[in-house]
Amino acid sequence: MDMIAPLVKTGVISSTLNLWLALPIGFLFGFALFHAGFTDSRRIAWAFYFKDVGVPVVMFSAIATGMLGLWGLSLIGFLDISKVYMLPTFLLPMAIGGVIFGLGMVIGGYCPGTAAASIATGKIDAVIFIVGFLLGSLVFGDFFPVWGDFYNSDYMGVFRLDQWLGIGLGQTVLLVVLIAVSGTIFMRFVQNKVWPPAEVDPQEKYVIRLHAALIAVALVIGITFTFFPSESFIDDSVETPYYIVPKTTVSQAISEAQTLEFSDLAGSGA
Amino acid sequence: MKFGTRWPPIPAGILIGISMLLAFVVAGRGIGASGAMTRLVAWVQHGLFPAATEQSAYFGKYFADGAHPLNDYVVFLLVGLLVGSFVAAWLSGELRVEVLRGPRSSVAYRLGLALAGGILVGFAARLARGCTSGQGLVGGAELSVGAWVFLMCIFAGGWMAAWFVRKQWI
Repeated sequence: MDMIAPLVKTGVISSTLNLWLALPIGFLFGFALFHAGFTDSRRIAWAFYFKDVGVPVVMFSAIATGMLGLWGLSLIGFLDISKVYMLPTFLLPMAIGGVIFGLGMVIGGYCPGTAAASIATGKIDAVIFIVGFLLGSLVFGDFFPVWGDFYNSDYMGVFRLDQWLGIGLGQTVLLVVLIAVSGTIFMRFVQNKVWPPAEVDPQEKYVIRLHAALIAVALVIGITFTFFPSESFIDDSVETPYYIVPKTTVSQAISEAQTLEFSDLAGSGA
Repeated sequence: MKFGTRWPPIPAGILIGISMLLAFVVAGRGIGASGAMTRLVAWVQHGLFPAATEQSAYFGKYFADGAHPLNDYVVFLLVGLLVGSFVAAWLSGELRVEVLRGPRSSVAYRLGLALAGGILVGFAARLARGCTSGQGLVGGAELSVGAWVFLMCIFAGGWMAAWFVRKQWI
């Protein structure tokens, strides 16, 4: 099978060109963050008061787009997914990290990417947030031996939702789309209940139509995915050098996760 | 139909998703923002204490085999992100030096909490191996269990603290 992408891993482009192409990709990311309203700390924090649920809605649609694209391009044989770096799961550190992250987000009003984008638009609170961010990562790195064991604990390898749920990958993708759509509708509903808009937006009708059309496209792609077995998206029997740590079968990973020691992982670049 | 500076959330999210998809297709990896800033910290500390930083259990890997911590994919992404956001704000006439805060919040209160929140997020992003974009969005698209747990815990943590800092925002 000769697949074109990922371009740098299949040798279509050099690693130097790949680095330079990160600039326009980052540009698009920053450009979109501004137009999502994420350079304004209030709009981010308001998500936690249901005053402006843009944050979860944008995140749902970004994930759905990336997900449908990633697995769709693999399905049609354009992208060799075994050469895409998959994020491994360290369950408990990620859960605790998520809670602390959420606390920091509502207290500070940003996450790292949005704060950086906001600095570029001149916001002083974003500069101070990033000063704090740099201090926080400095503390994490310099006192790493204190929490290093915890950081590397509860390792489950590359562990996907479809493997966890025991259903097909295509079905899982459709499920995520359904969760994103129902989550979006629910959040909009709560926002309108808790913070009823003072005036009706004249463009509301067009926005709803546009959103409905985009949601319909996502649903059609998601439903199409359910007709294909998991093997058409990814071959889980292939071991690739692109995983941060060797891939083990899920059942092994779950049983081993309880007994893994820091030293087992330290040598594999974790 | 004209949206002005703030687009409806779904088209804005789709554009973020497309930038992530381009990274998958071109580089075989996702996007992210926190990694570049941690590399920046490592680089600054290396300037002050080179030996200690190279031997650091966490930062040491950035200097393995004489590597420069800033010569990395995520740093190029961050530079692009800064320019992209600057250009978007400039084209929209929204480049303004200001402190964003709620109507009941003083500047000092806002900046104090921005620092505190930043410290928490900086620590948490390293513990969770990424931030909302690098871990949450990318892992979410890859269907990673850890990323979905991370995302749900972000909202759990945010709602836990929201009441205590409400004067800052509403």
